[in-house]
Amino acid sequence: MNEITIKELLYKIADDQLILGHRNSEWTGFGPLLEEDIAFSSMAQDKVGQSQAMYQLLHELGEAEPDTVAFMRNEDQFHNCQLTELPNGEYDFSLIRHFLFDFAYAIRFEMLANSSYEPLAKLSKKIQGELRYHTMHANTWIKQLGSATEESISRLQNSLNEAMPYSLGIFEPSPYEAELKSEGIFEGEEVLKEKWLAKITDVINQTQLQMPDISTLTPKYGGRKGKHTEHLQPLLDEMAEVFRIDPTADW
Amino acid sequence: MYGGGNTFESIKATGLENEDPIKLAEFEARIERGEKIEPHDWMPQLYRKQLIRMIEQHAHSEIIGALPEGTWITRAPGFKRKLALMAKVQDEVGHAQLLYGAAETLGKPREQMLDDLVSGKSKYSNIFNYPAFTWADSCFISWLVDAGAIVNQLANARGSYGPYCRALERICAEESFHLKYGHHCVIHLATGTEKQREMMQAAINRWWAPMMHFFGPADKASVHSEILMRWKVKMSSNDEQRNQFLDMYVPKIWELGFTIPDPKLGKNEATGKWEYTEPDWEEFKRVINGDGPCNAERLAVRRTAEERGRWVRQALLAPKTQYVAPLA
Amino acid sequence: MNKSLDPRVNRLNIPTGELTPKVPLDQFGTFEVFVQIKEGKGYRHEGIVHAPNRDMAFLFAKEQFSRRFMCAGIFVVETRNVFVTAYTEDKDNIYSHISDTYPEDGEEEQYEIFHLEKRGKQHEHIGSVPAKNHQQALALAKPNFIDGDPIYNVWVVKTSDILFTEEEDKIMWNTLPEKKFRDASDYRAADKIKEFKERQA
Repeated sequence: MNEITIKELLYKIADDQLILGHRNSEWTGFGPLLEEDIAFSSMAQDKVGQSQAMYQLLHELGEAEPDTVAFMRNEDQFHNCQLTELPNGEYDFSLIRHFLFDFAYAIRFEMLANSSYEPLAKLSKKIQGELRYHTMHANTWIKQLGSATEESISRLQNSLNEAMPYSLGIFEPSPYEAELKSEGIFEGEEVLKEKWLAKITDVINQTQLQMPDISTLTPKYGGRKGKHTEHLQPLLDEMAEVFRIDPTADW
Repeated sequence: MYGGGNTFESIKATGLENEDPIKLAEFEARIERGEKIEPHDWMPQLYRKQLIRMIEQHAHSEIIGALPEGTWITRAPGFKRKLALMAKVQDEVGHAQLLYGAAETLGKPREQMLDDLVSGKSKYSNIFNYPAFTWADSCFISWLVDAGAIVNQLANARGSYGPYCRALERICAEESFHLKYGHHCVIHLATGTEKQREMMQAAINRWWAPMMHFFGPADKASVHSEILMRWKVKMSSNDEQRNQFLDMYVPKIWELGFTIPDPKLGKNEATGKWEYTEPDWEEFKRVINGDGPCNAERLAVRRTAEERGRWVRQALLAPKTQYVAPLA
Repeated sequence: MNKSLDPRVNRLNIPTGELTPKVPLDQFGTFEVFVQIKEGKGYRHEGIVHAPNRDMAFLFAKEQFSRRFMCAGIFVVETRNVFVTAYTEDKDNIYSHISDTYPEDGEEEQYEIFHLEKRGKQHEHIGSVPAKNHQQALALAKPNFIDGDPIYNVWVVKTSDILFTEEEDKIMWNTLPEKKFRDASDYRAADKIKEFKERQA
């Protein structure tokens, strides 16, 4: 088994989870309702925790410690899709992003639970319980706000339109698609994308939202190759502000 | 996170002459027996009023208390700290939720309480009106402000009102990791590099005065609240709590080689009491009345959060719902 | 506003100005939350959440009441759908005050019964009974409990008013023991202090 192939896969998953978990944690204490504040924070913690576990797998493959990997790299070394790094905006955007992303990841981990790469399969199985709650949460919110008031529907629709090209960036093909598939590690981004589309279209059709015509959209690719929006580097600088005061220190 | 007596407002046992003497005697006998008062039980107006005020202030202190530590939530160094701080700040919000629920059983809707918070009508713990300049400030809060709050909460958990006690039991259980986490952070700064030690010492210097204020005015300056003690609303005096805190934590601070910016601080072994420079109560009053370094920001953030979330809540509101106070 | 020390606050772009008016019931109504600590144990009342409806109440209850402790299941019911008896004291069993006659109106469906067995504690789920209305449910429960230890208060809820955890969703609680960072035992540092003191000596 080619380690570079595995590493590429693990890095993009870990970076996605870390960056979105970080973004979502910004809501803690600012949420629209105390109860939702708590729920959203839990899911942010889940994501950061999942990213740490992925970096740990990478560490076992010879990469640096999770802390070093997460806190010392710059934007061009990050493989997250651009969707995750965009600023939170208002709650409509954060919710739509959470909905689009978490459904993609619930399916990704479902697929990876059967991966031939045993450590990843094991971890993916463990994560499924957490993802079950995330998708239930996303589902409930989108169905309710997507059929509520004129304001909530138009806010969600605008956010959906804005987020969609970026969310297609989740499925930016890897240079190792063929190998991942032939070795039974992962069925590939295209398969994932089709399953995801079916799932989110199903939810959106139960609301008054319109699914954007994705055939007309240009996916926001580049994130997987270290090309990012202007928002990622400031995020990384902020995240690592204390850590980088002295990276050798024990905090 | 909440400290003891927060204000100088006097508590007079007024209105008691209008209460039914037989019911009042039964009520007091129940408390004397160590039984809890439950929402459906008869209670004097003064008891209800004081409890609402106290639990509400406690709840506000949790939700506002999420902000100074939240200052560092996006910058916590390393996974372990990042996850723990996220979970800890989340807990503060969760504790506010539990406490508002307990206060609601006394008949004040949460909506009213949140309105009174953002309008500045009701108070919260003064200490959260101070800024968290560095990572070390957040460590001070996690360890020592939480420690102070736990002194207060453990006392109040033995109080007389059932729903408040049950909320506090849950809160204390959830908080078991906060104090350890905070101490763990401070130990790492203390035993780390020179720079780390300096950061921590500077934070201690900044936070010591607010920490001494945290437990409220000195007993001799605050109006004696005998009736609230008898009704087990207030479980120990401000000075008792302050003394207990100093007794438990000053040695732990000294043990790490830090100094505390009060030359008079020391335990009088003969009396068993700690002696210290009298805190500046004028500053305390000033900050409580709105003139602290962060009062305006804290309320503006809370208000903005409420406002930005309004469309969400409004969208889901079922128009015919009627508010009913929770049961227990 | 002045620049905040919290970068998140600076990103909020807080405006100055007056509060905009809001409609009443901005915080929604309340739902009572019951938690089952583990399979086989009974459900116990744990507290409330504010929520616009049952599905949301369930989402909120899951994180507010089970993120720290063991949990196998949760259910929620809107506060106003709980039928509450009077309270009794000492050896006085509330069931001895329950009338054996009841109205006959309503279709028969299932009702859930909750007991308060000790002052200062929480209500526990006891079981269910088919009945036409809340009062009949109470009267039908009575023979089973009238001679036992005193029950101080009873809640009766129509089963269809409750949102239960679906069997397939129970995996939501599978991952909890992994959350080490929420555990006090993960923060031991006595060695560091000891070593520090030795260095100072």
